[in-house]
Amino acid sequence: MTIRRVLIIAPILVVLILLQSYFWVPTYEQQTRGNPNRLSEFIAGSIGDASLLNPILSMDSASSQIEGMVFEGLVDRDENLRIRSRLAASWEVFEEAFFYINESADIPGLGESDPKRIADFLKEAKEKSHRFIPQLQASLDRIAEISVIPPRRFQVSRYHRTKSREKGEAPITFDVEAPARIQLVLSEVDPDFFQNLIFLFGKDYFDTFQGKKYIHPDFPIGEKELAAFADELLPATEHNPVLVFHLRPDVKFHDGHVFDAGDVKFTYESIMNPGNLSPRVSDYEPVKSVEIIDPLTFRVVYKRLFSPAVISWGMGILPEHLLNREALEKEALRFGKDPETYTMRQSTFNRRPIGCGPFKFREWKSDRHIILDRFYDYWEGAPNYEKFVFRVIPDLLTQEMEFYAGTIDNYGVQPYQVKRLEKDLRFQNFSGLSFGYSYIGYNMRRRPFDDLRVRRALGMAIDVNKIIDYVLYGQGERITGPFVKQTDYYNQGIRPLPYDPQGALSLLAEAGWQRNKNGWLEKNGKKFQFTLITNSGNDLRKAVLAIAQDAWKQIGIDVRTDILEWSVFIRERVNKLDFDAVVLGWQMGIDPDLYQIWHSSQTNPFQLNFVGFHNAEADDLIIRIRQEYDYGRQVAYCRRLHEIIAREQPYTFLYVDKWTAILDRRIVIKKTDGAGNVFYEKIRPTKTGSYTFHFNKWIKLPKEPVFAADG
Amino acid sequence: MITADISQSDNVVPLDKAMAPKRTRLQEFWFLFRRNKLAILGMIIFFFFFFIALIGLLLTAGRHPVFDPALIRLQEKLRPPLAEPNLETLLPDEVPAFGVYLFGTDDLGRDVFARMLQGAWVSLTVGFVAVGISVLLGIFMGGIAGYYGQHQVRLDHILAIGLVFLGAAFLAMDNILFGFMFLFLGVCCALYCLSRRKTSVRRAPFNREHLLGTNVFSIDTLIMRIVDIMLCFPSFFLILTVVALLPASIYNIMIVIGLTSWMGTTRFVRAEFLSLREQDFVMAVRALGVGNFRIIFRHMMPNAIGPVLVSATIGIATAILTEAGLSFLGFGVPPPHATWGNILSDGKNFIFDAPWLTFIPGVAILIVVLSFNLFGEGLRDVLNPKLRERS
Amino acid sequence: MLSFFGRSIVQKIVTLFFVSIISFLIIHLAPGEPSQIDPLNPKFTFEMVERFRKEFHLDKPLHIQYLYFYRDLFTGKTVSWKDNQSVVQKIWDRFLNSLPLFIVGTILTWTISFPIGIRSAIFRGRFFDRSATFFSYLLISIPGFFFAYILIIFVVTRFHVPVIGMETFGLGDTSMLNVIMDRIWHLFLPSVLGATGGIAVLSRYVRSQMLEVEGQDYVRTAKAKGLPSEQVHYKHALRNALLPFVTMFGLILPGLIGGSVIIESIFSWPGMGRMAYEAILARDYPVILTVNFVSAVLVLAGTFISDLLYLLVDPRIRL
Repeated sequence: MTIRRVLIIAPILVVLILLQSYFWVPTYEQQTRGNPNRLSEFIAGSIGDASLLNPILSMDSASSQIEGMVFEGLVDRDENLRIRSRLAASWEVFEEAFFYINESADIPGLGESDPKRIADFLKEAKEKSHRFIPQLQASLDRIAEISVIPPRRFQVSRYHRTKSREKGEAPITFDVEAPARIQLVLSEVDPDFFQNLIFLFGKDYFDTFQGKKYIHPDFPIGEKELAAFADELLPATEHNPVLVFHLRPDVKFHDGHVFDAGDVKFTYESIMNPGNLSPRVSDYEPVKSVEIIDPLTFRVVYKRLFSPAVISWGMGILPEHLLNREALEKEALRFGKDPETYTMRQSTFNRRPIGCGPFKFREWKSDRHIILDRFYDYWEGAPNYEKFVFRVIPDLLTQEMEFYAGTIDNYGVQPYQVKRLEKDLRFQNFSGLSFGYSYIGYNMRRRPFDDLRVRRALGMAIDVNKIIDYVLYGQGERITGPFVKQTDYYNQGIRPLPYDPQGALSLLAEAGWQRNKNGWLEKNGKKFQFTLITNSGNDLRKAVLAIAQDAWKQIGIDVRTDILEWSVFIRERVNKLDFDAVVLGWQMGIDPDLYQIWHSSQTNPFQLNFVGFHNAEADDLIIRIRQEYDYGRQVAYCRRLHEIIAREQPYTFLYVDKWTAILDRRIVIKKTDGAGNVFYEKIRPTKTGSYTFHFNKWIKLPKEPVFAADG
Repeated sequence: MITADISQSDNVVPLDKAMAPKRTRLQEFWFLFRRNKLAILGMIIFFFFFFIALIGLLLTAGRHPVFDPALIRLQEKLRPPLAEPNLETLLPDEVPAFGVYLFGTDDLGRDVFARMLQGAWVSLTVGFVAVGISVLLGIFMGGIAGYYGQHQVRLDHILAIGLVFLGAAFLAMDNILFGFMFLFLGVCCALYCLSRRKTSVRRAPFNREHLLGTNVFSIDTLIMRIVDIMLCFPSFFLILTVVALLPASIYNIMIVIGLTSWMGTTRFVRAEFLSLREQDFVMAVRALGVGNFRIIFRHMMPNAIGPVLVSATIGIATAILTEAGLSFLGFGVPPPHATWGNILSDGKNFIFDAPWLTFIPGVAILIVVLSFNLFGEGLRDVLNPKLRERS
Repeated sequence: MLSFFGRSIVQKIVTLFFVSIISFLIIHLAPGEPSQIDPLNPKFTFEMVERFRKEFHLDKPLHIQYLYFYRDLFTGKTVSWKDNQSVVQKIWDRFLNSLPLFIVGTILTWTISFPIGIRSAIFRGRFFDRSATFFSYLLISIPGFFFAYILIIFVVTRFHVPVIGMETFGLGDTSMLNVIMDRIWHLFLPSVLGATGGIAVLSRYVRSQMLEVEGQDYVRTAKAKGLPSEQVHYKHALRNALLPFVTMFGLILPGLIGGSVIIESIFSWPGMGRMAYEAILARDYPVILTVNFVSAVLVLAGTFISDLLYLLVDPRIRL
């Protein structure tokens, strides 16, 4: 019976065809040991794919990883987190300081005077010695040039808020009659310059400058608003830090085009172009102007003191010749799109980027892999690896199995796996502190969290060491304040809160909380009860939530927990300040600017100081840290700020987790000394915890070498 | 068989009774069902699972439960099944019942046995409520479509409903003025429809009313179109979308699973009702003047409920699996509720370090779902007269 | 006949319209915003968030957004918010990736379930039938990802060959045949996993259809006149039992765009399901809505085709 035979043979045939394909597939052994090319490529496993390979448009970690290899910035940070030169061979920082002549104030010993005389007065003062006022002496010594800007008239338009329309903004034009101004070039940035000049000029000279006298709106506005505009248009004093970069000559993009200052300017302008929606705008908002002095010299002037200025130029530099207006228009026409609305966001550049980094883009298959080749003309010498492959494997378990098989070189290893793999001789593992920390934040607007004793007690009831040992498998360290722990800003002298439930109870008793007959804490007949929330999708936070709940239950606090989807969590609860306590984490930059998270002006809804921390001294320190260009002083301010925050306990600072990484032992650093002898070094994480810092020198060897140094 | 019955019966019984089989319907089902060994096995496990879930609820609830599924003993994490607790490091409260971790402990040192017990109840609830919602909705929609199918929806009905919806939409968008205006108009319109129904017999309709009174489509069409619309969404994708976008909660998951799986039941019930309505016994009841309500629930429903029961049994199994799938993607029932699905998906990360965290819930789900399916299949065989074996 | 087509098409378009509205509402009314607009990023100022919202038209009222979206969709201009790629292009790429999985899965399902179903019907209640029932239910009762992991671990540790991905990574330059076979191997496990559910359901369905037909008078007649039982089963009964399955061909169409998120994630298969899932996570509305729309179109086209097939196959239906 044919039908019957067909029915039986067909499935057997199908299954056989599928099964026989097994004999064609190379085994893992053939792919790794049996394949010599495997040694010259590094395959990184990743859970997710990159989105856009354009350093000014994307911020996700997968994209950043690739961008870091393809693109290069002017500067970056070295092993000790100091800024080091990359595309910029060197740079200078100095300052232009300005002040307006205050016609209504007298200068001691000079009286009311014209700008010329004030300039001369300053020059004389510089010549003289001020031994008794050392800070004035220091400031005056920094003056390199003094010049006078004559009075001038100009018109500016601004928008101002009108009351009549609900959220309308009406244009307003000012006639500005600016008085004469003195311009000073300082050899170094000096945030205290004008404070020190007071010793010469008298206390009120800068304070009593009446800017609003010189601006004339075409439309009557309120006194307060006028003053605000005056402060903006005619500030009594102004600091304009200046950055001059001297670029490295003969650096090439991957397509052979030579890199110059035009590319830097273009990159800056692309970030600022609103059409590109670059998420990095905020770093460049304080820039006043940029200027190409010659093809290898680039000058940036800032509106105000902004200490993270230099490092912000670490963003990858885009090639102007491929992305400027004409190039984009040409591309738009080629794809039949409207050249008017075609922006860098739409460009195919984002899928095949060209930069001047150590690796050159070759291929991107969505959700499969991205392949980079080494760039032979890299200015610092081509990397050892011929190929870098970014392979997307969304499932951690299969990633792990591929890693054991040797078909990927690293993967998102979990702490509990490190513990198991530690003893394995095939692998070397690394760990270091990461830049983020986890905390429990209390809404200090609400009772009882407004009481320091309660916050301390809550912190003391949680055994953070236990969390670190068992939830993080020891892959974490305690943290006491908001700075990155491995930087100098972090105050190592501060002791963490002890784990002391009894102490917590007595602190709570001091604050009026007593145990009732059911064992719950009570004050004035009200049970101590609140809700602790966090976002879903983070297992560690989930665990912290459970442990905190349990720990607080032990001392008689009734804690409910809630896990919310991220966007709901943020929009409905955190942004609207509708929470008692949250488990969250901050991912910190190395830069110590804490303005958005800790300054008291940032406590409104939708701002990041959602716990409502306010402290006058802290506010002052935060502003100073932002403006201080001197590393030593910045460190001192930070340590003091750390102390204040640790004392106030607005958060229970929990831990900073350690990243872990695992590599085959045969991957080593290969270097060549002056005589051309090759030698190998073991890979070690840098002090600040980046094991891939020397990635360009890495190579995989057929077997583990004998190390030149300590072995 | 029947002859045997007759021979045993007394002569006294009236003739019509003697002719009928002695067994009630239930007995007959049981008789047929009993021969299906797999189904019996399924049923036994099915009821055993119920029992476990109930016991689990009792043993794990309260402030000091016998098995505390939430108790964290970090120092005792990832202990294998049947491991003895390390008594020195534990407080007396923390020692598990029977002094042994029957199923081991998980990554936070929680007793897996306790969590499985608690999870049994939660998983069962998820399955039951979800299927309950879908079955009720299915019967309701299917019943209406099948029974009131030819009633027509008129233009004014649509207008009224449209206005009310518009009003609700405006209210949702915080536009109170328009919202109330439309709501008010909608209610007026609805009242108008109702009044018209009574008066239309008396008055000859004039033109404008005629237009409003146009029949647009039948209720049956309406409901079946809604079913079509729902079927256009790929169901797991729809569930995922909704669960991912809404805040995670056990109720959302139950409701969403329920709301996305009623279409089959509706089709079933409708078809069943359409054929039942034409049958003589319904005609007879109607001739007796029995109300619609009673006809539907007393006479038609029992005849249509069989297949619904079958699909409900299998539906519970599917819901448990769906929940496990959602857990895998991180959208399952959120803690503190343990379900077998989220124990399994949490455990899979430890498959090399602690295989029992994967295998215990995995195998448990397998057995329970299998038993539900086999039980459902057995029921289906028994309830479908066409498939009954010729004896 | 023509009027049937006309009516059916109009009906489907109306359905599609409602589907588009409902899916749009579900996504836009749900709490939350696209992840590009991350309010907890210190680098994102309020103004920037507003600018993003404006760029995505999120500041407009819903009905305007709806019109914008479908205008873009029909002119093919929809772009993903995540990477600014054309959504249609993205879906097409993923579709091509999912297609082999779908084809092999379907072939497996249909070739395996028929013999099993038919045999169980013929040997109803015997050992074969019972074990077939048991195993087919066993297969659909295992949580998919659990099964997948067990299979992967088994194959990888036992046979030391790669199973994830669409092909062995870095296969390099080998013969064409090698490449094809390699791809087939990588198709094997995910398609088997994808087919298990289908096999279980379809074989049960075949069985019940066969049983129903076997109870018919003409089968009894055929038996009575002494035809060999093979001929009775495979010729008389099977042909009539097949009727509903012809129409099912139309209904597998939506499977084209389905694709299982779970299996695709585990096997690192860059298919439709995963793209849709990632779009949901990132709240990439254009991608979610387009996938939804396309799949609704496929469902409707599928039912249309199955109606049509029914018309062609079953001589009893005439319009």
